Amino acid sequence: MKKILQSSCLSLCLFMLGLALGAVAYAQTPTPAASPAAAAPAPPLAPADAQLKAAAGKAPSMADLAKGDPGGTITGTINDVPAADSKAGVTLPDVANQVGQNKIAANFIWTLVTGFLVMFMQAGFAMVESGLTRVKNANHTYMMNFFVYTCGLFSYWIIGFAIQMGGSAGNSNLGGLNSLTGEHSLTLFGKAWGVFASAGMLLSGHTYDVGVMVIFLFEMVFMDTALTIVTGACAERWKFLAFTVSSIVMGAITYPLYGNWAWGGGWLSQLGTNVGLGKGYCDFAGSGVVHAVGGITALAVCMMIGPRIGKYNRDGSSNAILGHDVSAVLIGCFILAFGWFGFNPGSTLGASANGNLRIGTIAVDTMLAGCTGTMGAILYMWSLKGKPDYSMSGNGLLAGLVAITAPSGFVNTAGACIIGLVAGVLVCLSCSFFENTLKVDDPVGAISVHGTNGLWGVISVGLFADGTSNYGGSWNGVTGNVTGLFYGDPSQLVAQLVGVSTLIGVVFTISMLVNLAIEFFIGHRVSAETELEGLDIPEMGQLGYPEFVFRPEPVMSAA
Amino acid sequence: MAANKQQGSYLTLFWTGATALCAGLAYLAEGFGKLVLVLGLAAVAIGLFGFLKIKPMEGKTGGVPGNPVLKLLGIAVALGGWFVTIAGLHITTSVGGRLIFALVGIGISLVGVLGVLPIAFGKSMAGKSAPSSFAAAKTSMEHSR
Repeated sequence: MKKILQSSCLSLCLFMLGLALGAVAYAQTPTPAASPAAAAPAPPLAPADAQLKAAAGKAPSMADLAKGDPGGTITGTINDVPAADSKAGVTLPDVANQVGQNKIAANFIWTLVTGFLVMFMQAGFAMVESGLTRVKNANHTYMMNFFVYTCGLFSYWIIGFAIQMGGSAGNSNLGGLNSLTGEHSLTLFGKAWGVFASAGMLLSGHTYDVGVMVIFLFEMVFMDTALTIVTGACAERWKFLAFTVSSIVMGAITYPLYGNWAWGGGWLSQLGTNVGLGKGYCDFAGSGVVHAVGGITALAVCMMIGPRIGKYNRDGSSNAILGHDVSAVLIGCFILAFGWFGFNPGSTLGASANGNLRIGTIAVDTMLAGCTGTMGAILYMWSLKGKPDYSMSGNGLLAGLVAITAPSGFVNTAGACIIGLVAGVLVCLSCSFFENTLKVDDPVGAISVHGTNGLWGVISVGLFADGTSNYGGSWNGVTGNVTGLFYGDPSQLVAQLVGVSTLIGVVFTISMLVNLAIEFFIGHRVSAETELEGLDIPEMGQLGYPEFVFRPEPVMSAA
Repeated sequence: MAANKQQGSYLTLFWTGATALCAGLAYLAEGFGKLVLVLGLAAVAIGLFGFLKIKPMEGKTGGVPGNPVLKLLGIAVALGGWFVTIAGLHITTSVGGRLIFALVGIGISLVGVLGVLPIAFGKSMAGKSAPSSFAAAKTSMEHSR
């Protein structure tokens, strides 16, 4: 990375120097006087090329390099720039090509490494979800989090990616992605609206392309994050077969559809160009696309599957069912917070392009929102319930991170703090609402963390976007900076609300219908006998903690 | 029923069929693409039929069946709210007007999702439907109550 950056800088400097010298030289070139037809001298060397030759002459020799470079001052020179014609040496076009390739290389590395960070979040989810469930279901919960990666990845490869990103050509950060041009549109009211795409199934044909592979990896790990949200909400009673099929379908259809509408050139992203709503629907890193889709699907399945046996008493009051491992929960939360540095800053899809140096701000916004989310949840619980509850503290951190995901690319640090703080309190209120009012049993609080705060994150773009970020001059094809209501553009808020309406109205409906079909063919819930015994032995064949001795669970106090 | 070999076999068939289906779609323009598509569809259908066949083996669950009509109503209301939001984009060009339509649409959808559907699914309190056999469990909260 360091080498590439050094090389990039040097190449860029040389390129600019060459251009500047070329311009000066052009300006100073005297008008050729009429000269006698004498023998023409050898054509003068172009000034830029002369400079390059001079630089090559001054570059450290092989003998110098053989002595070692402990200070890192002589490694990476003009000699590392490949010349198209070795006899002519390095020329200006060679330097220009190298600069271009270095830009794409830096962006590839950035996007891939941040994608790897997001992939590691699966470990965090597994720990959080398993830690919040009972020991008799630990193996089952861990296995759902493990296997969802496979289910999602495979279905995304065979069709999901094509539906989502198959029409998204035009990202110069990753070399153009020119082979992804398969968006299918519907013409309504005289405007074309993207609905789904189709290029890139099985990454075959002309999508067998280096840039496409990078965007596939990055988008895939995002998709898998959405899928794993559902496993937490439905833990301790979800049949493994039903979970598998539900995850396959979600990775193949539900998630990619909304992903296309927001990120793949679909109709939500066209709200700016087609009906003049701000810069179209803006979701920088996926509060809506990833988290709200996951949370809303979790709500649909959770309603369908019903609460765990023993969660509610006959009078409707609820019992607290405690998780088995505080350390797993809190370490898992830290792993997730770490992975979020891939989620948000990585969503620039590059570190070397116009506006991409904002990755520093995005990372700080992410940290701050997580911090204030934790603060909000702890202070709320401590003030109102008397104890700084660990599970809500962890959920507060995650809620802040979820909420800042969409606005992270568009807001300042004060905005990030407010968004996180609101999220931290909101997650406590939302958990209580779903558990006590709606009687939806969500063992880990996934619906509130990801669903409620995903929607809050989407809305907060329309409120707090400060109009200072500019990633190449336009967003969703609309020139200018993304600006929210508090900074002068109320139409951006409307675009965000259309996104929220789509999540609650359409994504929820699709999720509900898909899972009703699964309920018909398979049935989501394990038998009552299995549920009471614990899912580890009946569903997985082995206990998560085989040397533990199970004891009757303690009497739970009514909440 | 718990996990068993039949589940594994039908899942394998379903997944293979889904893969073939997508491969068929990807290469639909070519001759073998259509054949693969048909084979994939058949495998998916057989897989689903297999799931349906073994479903009764699961036994009684802790959930409650709910009200199918209310379920459909809830889904319709949720989707209807979105139509209101979208209609607002074309009915008016003013930002304020569109904002109101969007908020009304979201409100309607929320009525469907948070108002109608929880009732449709019985606000399902497992305790209500718990048969007496649950009390025999060794490690259940039901037992401890």
